[in-house]
Amino acid sequence: MSHSEVCVINYGLGNLRSVENGLRAVGASVRVVNTPEDVTRADRLILPGVGSFNEGMKNLRDSGLSEAICSAAKRGTPLLGICLGMQLLASHGEEGGNTQGLGLIPGIVKRFAVDAALRIPHMGFNEVFPLKTSPLFEEVPVGSDFYFVHSYHVVVDDANDGLASASYGVPFMAAVHRANVFGTQFHPEKSQSQGLQLLKNFCAFV
Amino acid sequence: MLKKRIIFTLLVEDGFFVLSRNFGLQKAGDLGWLKDFYDFDSIAFSIDELIVLDVSRNERDHARFASLLQDISRSCFMPIAAGGGIRCVDDVELLLRSGADKVVVNTSLFKDEGLVRELVRRFGAQCIIASIDFMTESSGRTSVYIENGKELTDLSVPQAIEHVQKLGVGEIYLTSMTQDGTGRGLDSKVIAEAGAIARCPLIASGGAGTFAHIAQALELPAVSAVSTANLFNFMGDNLTEARNYVEQSGTHLAKWSRFKLLAGPT
Repeated sequence: MSHSEVCVINYGLGNLRSVENGLRAVGASVRVVNTPEDVTRADRLILPGVGSFNEGMKNLRDSGLSEAICSAAKRGTPLLGICLGMQLLASHGEEGGNTQGLGLIPGIVKRFAVDAALRIPHMGFNEVFPLKTSPLFEEVPVGSDFYFVHSYHVVVDDANDGLASASYGVPFMAAVHRANVFGTQFHPEKSQSQGLQLLKNFCAFV
Repeated sequence: MLKKRIIFTLLVEDGFFVLSRNFGLQKAGDLGWLKDFYDFDSIAFSIDELIVLDVSRNERDHARFASLLQDISRSCFMPIAAGGGIRCVDDVELLLRSGADKVVVNTSLFKDEGLVRELVRRFGAQCIIASIDFMTESSGRTSVYIENGKELTDLSVPQAIEHVQKLGVGEIYLTSMTQDGTGRGLDSKVIAEAGAIARCPLIASGGAGTFAHIAQALELPAVSAVSTANLFNFMGDNLTEARNYVEQSGTHLAKWSRFKLLAGPT
């Protein structure tokens, strides 16, 4: 496995400690970063996040992190967005008013429109089905359970960017992938062995 | 498909893990004991969620509890909820910084509604679990208690549920003090009544002594999760067997492959 350092981006939202714990458990060296300079120098980036889309983007823009993340991604730095972090990869989001996203995965972030009998947020372990082969899901069995907690989901413009799907009343995108940019709507750091395998795969991705 | 959950609740008093019966506590051991005698690090790979509660009867030491929570969360890769004596926003921030994903609120639900509304606004409904402790009288009427079960309120379980839902909490954690620690089974009648009016996920707790008790409670449509604080349920391979039993009784649980990553670099 690669020994490069993983930089977890701190922009004021999300439980960074769990992501750090998960990465350490798979043998990665981890650093929490909060400046554009650190993002630019990183070997590997994780954008975690729990919270609302517009607040997340505001924090990323105000700190200059959004530009640094986009440039790093375009240079080929492996990037994994988790939960809100995946949603922020999209072109725009509807949460808290229409807000422009990082635009690394063309698409829009919409609120779940499901039957009233299904409770929002979608919370708990749910089965995830890869839509294409990918290094991120290596050694992760088809239909593995991952932990979700979210009310919004990503709708991709280009079906080729869809990496895995799950279902909650309606099918939705559980993971996305374009070149060196990955996103998971679920929390791998909260998804037991399968989640750790996925983090390990991301750390090994070249 | 969204799966149902088996939750393990760890009770902590003055820095030690304790067992509870009808809310009376008995000291069990420290974190080293939990890891050694119960192989907690490996058990932790068979539960869907962990709840850690500071049930200290004396004044709570928040810093010590937070430090214990940090130690626990280092080797737990599932959602963790923590609570006990939450009286202000800072208490919640400390727990969230120490490895918790959600917090459990009890007394403040009935004594400081403003705080609970503020917590929901600030951290999101999914982050706030309302803990409702109740006793069942012989007439069948329920009475809700707060302050570690010491103080009686004038509310029944249905009234308390309506109350906490108005505050906007994301989940309800319903514990029968009458059944707590007895292993005689959950109070399925009260749980079903609660489920009929709950509009958010419901965690049923108090009395799980056998695999069948867990399976029966999970079969109730409105129950999302069953919690047990009885460590003895989980000796040896009991937890894996409990999951198999529930699965065979027709309730679907999450499945995880055996975890080999911690064995060392591959």
